Amino acid sequence: MSQKIRLSWLQLSHEKAKLFAAIAGVMVSVVLMWMQLGLMNALFSSAVMFHDRLSADLVVVHSQYESILRSRSFSARLLYRLRGSEFVEDVVPVYIGTTDWKNPSTGGRKSIQVYGIETQKLTLSALGVNEHRQGLREEDTFLFDRLARPGFGEVPQFIADGQEPEVEINRRRMRAIGVTELGSSFGVDGNVITSEANFLRLFSQRRSGVIDLGLISLSEGAEPAVVRPQLQAALGKEVQVLTREEFRSLEIDYWQKATPIGVIFSAGTVVGFFIGFIVVYQILYTDVTNHLPQFATMKAMGFSGRYLVRVVLGQSFWLAVLGYVPGTIVAGLLYSGLKAATQLPLELSLLRGVALALATLFMCAMSGLLAIRKLSSADPADVF
Amino acid sequence: MILTDELVISGQEISFWFGEGELRKQILFEVDLQIQGGEIVLLTGPSGSGKTTLLTLIAGLRTMQSGSLRVLGMQLSGASSSLLTQLRRRIGFIFQAHNLLPYLSALQNVQLMFELHPDVSAVEGRQRATEMLERVGLGHRKDYAVSRLSGGQRQRVAIARALVTKPELVLADEPTAALDGTSGREVVNLLRSLAVDQGSPILMVTHDARVLDIADRIMEMQDGRVGAPTH
Ligand SMILES: Nc1ncnc2c1ncn2[C@@H]1O[C@H](COP(=O)(O)OP(=O)(O)OP(=O)(O)O)[C@@H](O)[C@H]1O
Ligand SMILES: [Mg+2]
Repeated sequence: MSQKIRLSWLQLSHEKAKLFAAIAGVMVSVVLMWMQLGLMNALFSSAVMFHDRLSADLVVVHSQYESILRSRSFSARLLYRLRGSEFVEDVVPVYIGTTDWKNPSTGGRKSIQVYGIETQKLTLSALGVNEHRQGLREEDTFLFDRLARPGFGEVPQFIADGQEPEVEINRRRMRAIGVTELGSSFGVDGNVITSEANFLRLFSQRRSGVIDLGLISLSEGAEPAVVRPQLQAALGKEVQVLTREEFRSLEIDYWQKATPIGVIFSAGTVVGFFIGFIVVYQILYTDVTNHLPQFATMKAMGFSGRYLVRVVLGQSFWLAVLGYVPGTIVAGLLYSGLKAATQLPLELSLLRGVALALATLFMCAMSGLLAIRKLSSADPADVF
Repeated sequence: MILTDELVISGQEISFWFGEGELRKQILFEVDLQIQGGEIVLLTGPSGSGKTTLLTLIAGLRTMQSGSLRVLGMQLSGASSSLLTQLRRRIGFIFQAHNLLPYLSALQNVQLMFELHPDVSAVEGRQRATEMLERVGLGHRKDYAVSRLSGGQRQRVAIARALVTKPELVLADEPTAALDGTSGREVVNLLRSLAVDQGSPILMVTHDARVLDIADRIMEMQDGRVGAPTH
C-alpha cells in the first residue's frame, strides 16, 4: 500500500497549483461543517445552561409548560404535598421572572432573566452559589452572570476588584455580591440568581407560593424513572413530573420547533459537504483525464484496475488529510474568536471531530470513486 | 526462463475483425506465426497491414476471435481478463511514445515495475533499477524528471523499464519512430544487447529500414497476411 500512497502523492503534488486548490476546497468544506455543526450545537446547549446545572433528580412544571422562557406558574402547595412521600427527600420551589436591568455605567435598560431559588440547599451547581450562600440570605443581594452579553455594565470587573456594586433592577436597588455563569441564549441576554425572598421583593406583583419550577431530590436508592409515575399520580393533571433529561430535551425540542436553527445549520453542513465533494471531484476528474494515457500504459504493462483505483483513492486520502487538519485548526481559531465575542459554548469536541474526519474521508473517497469511472475509458489496447 | 524447446509464441490461423454488422471489416487473415526462445524477430509491412493489431492480440490486449494463439505457454483464446493481466506482467513493453509517468523521475519509473513483482524487495528493486539505468547509459540522470530528458533518453528509460523485471518476452511497436536516425540506432542496439544478455526473445514492429539488420528473422505483413519468412 505504501508505494501506492507514494505514487498517489507524487501524482497529486506534481502540479502544485492544483494541489493547493484542492486542499483549499477541502479546507473550506471542513471549516464550514465545523462552524455549522458547532454553532447549532452551541445555540441549543446555551438554552439548557440552567438545566445542566440543576442538581435535582426530578423537576415539576406546569402541564402546559413549553420552555423556561414561557413557563406557567403553579401552586407550591402541590409540590409540598410530595414531602410526605417516602421516596422524596426534599422539594425546592423555583421562581423565574424577566425584568429590567439598568446599566450602572450608561443608564441604558436591558432585559434580564431572574431565578429566585432556595440557595441554602444544594439545588444549583452553578459557579458562586455555594460560596455566597451566606450573602444571598441578606436583603437585596444577587449573583450576576458574567457570561451575559455586553450592555449590562462593568459589574463583573467591579466584583473582581473586590467591590459589591449596586444596580437598579426593576426599579429596586440590589447589590451584586458575586458572579455566576449561566450564559446568554435565545431571548436571554443575561441572568441573575437570587434567593426566594429577594425574588419576591423584586417582583412585588408575584405572590409567594406561586412558583415556576419545583425541584425534587429523591431519597437514597430511589430511581427517578421508577418513582416518577407515582409522584405524577399524587400530583394530578395540573403539573407534570419530568426527569432531568426530559426537562432538558423538552427545552431543546422547543427551540428546535420554535426556530429554524436546526434546518438552517443542517442545510449549511450539507452545503459544506458538497462544496468539498465538488471541488475534489473536479480536481480528481481532470487529473484522471490528464493521466489517462499513463493509466492505459500501466494497464497494458499488467497493472490491475484495482491498483489504479487505489492510486486515485490514495489521492482522495491525501486531500482528506491535508484539508481536514488545517481546516480543523482554522475552525478552532474561529471558535475561540466567536466564543470571546458571543460567549457561545463552542468546543472542538472529539466526537464531532471524529465524525467530521469520517465525513471528510467519505466525501473525498466518493469524489475519487466517481472520478475513477473515467478510468474505464483508458483502453490499454490503444497504447500501441 | 521458459523451456527453450517450447515456442514463446505460437499462433495458427489467427483471424481478426474490427467493427460490427455492416461495418465489420476483416483485418487479419489466418495468420500463422512462431517465435522461439531467444529469437529476435522484426515484423514489417505497409501501414494498415495489421501489424499493431497482431501485436495487441499477442499481448493479450484484445480478445481473440478466431484461431489459436499460445503465448508463454498460455492459450489466449477464451482466456479471462485476469489471466491476461497475469500474462502481461511477464512481458516487457516498449511503445512508440515512451509513455513514462511524467511526475516520476527516471529511476522511479523503472522501479515502479517491481510493484508487479511483490517478491522483489524494495531495496533490491531500487538496486536493479539503478543498474538497468546505468546499462542504458543514464546512470548519471537517474534522478532527473522525465520532462528534463531528451526523446532518445526517454526511450532508453522506457527500455530499462521494459527489461528490468527480466521479462520472458519483449514486445515493441516502432520504438524508433519518434527518434532521429542516430538515437534510433542506439536505442535498437541497446535493446538487442540487453535482450540477448537476458535471453529474452523480441518481437518488434518497425518501418525503419535502417534497423532491420538486428533481426534474426524478418516477417513481412501484407493486407492482414504474413508472407514467407525472409532472412
Ligand atoms: N480500434 C480500431 N477500430 C477499427 N479499426 C481499426 C482499429 N485499429 C486499427 N484499425 C484498422 O485496422 C487496420 C490495421 O491497423 P493496424 O494498426 O494494425 O496497422 P499497422 O500495420 O500497425 O499500421 P501502421 O504501420 O500504420 O501502424 C487499419 O486499416 C486500421 O484502420
Ligand atoms: Mg501500427
